[in-house]
Amino acid sequence: MSQMSRRCVPYTPFDRPLDRATIALVTAGGVHRRDQEPFNIADELGDLTFRTIGPEVEVADLMVTHHHYDHSDADRDINVVFPIERLRELAAEGVIGGVAKLHVGYMGYSMQLKQLYDQTAPAIAEEIDRGSRADAVILTGG
Amino acid sequence: MRGIPTVVITVSPDASRQMRPPRALYPRGFKIGNSLGRPGMADLQRRVLADALGLLTAPPAPGEIVERDYPEYGTDEA
Repeated sequence: MSQMSRRCVPYTPFDRPLDRATIALVTAGGVHRRDQEPFNIADELGDLTFRTIGPEVEVADLMVTHHHYDHSDADRDINVVFPIERLRELAAEGVIGGVAKLHVGYMGYSMQLKQLYDQTAPAIAEEIDRGSRADAVILTGG
Repeated sequence: MRGIPTVVITVSPDASRQMRPPRALYPRGFKIGNSLGRPGMADLQRRVLADALGLLTAPPAPGEIVERDYPEYGTDEA
């Protein structure tokens, strides 16, 4: 961990009113659509892939595949780790400008921290930047 | 290369602190698996999410984890 702990996450200024901002969710909590390939929890090293989730997804179509936290609450109400319905409500209320076109779930437990940092994270950032055009991202674990 | 503004909602503040996140909210006492609150607590979930979003327009304090209390979350029975 000592290599990782010497890094810090760069600060990017947020330069617009919140009610004009499009927001995306990125969760490490293993959230994906039921019709997507589940995360490979049999792989001891951890699954380095991610899934993209559209903004209009029905919460009944979402599920959690993750073996390193108790996700029984998320199984009942996905919003406790992936608050997509709450985000839609905040957009309807005008608190935020809009819900981004694309959100991301990945499985954050990994023995391959360097690969997660060097490969998965930039790939998610690219997806958010190009595919989602989000102005900001809310990150959750589980 | 431009960055993307982020806010992390963390229920593992000690772990998060090591990465010096640019913006972070720790809902005090929420357990892992309950980042936004408990199932069905829509008002609470919305408030936690709104508080996290509020950090986007708050004065910059990179590396700091903002802790908030949400009494309606309650406590877990032992």
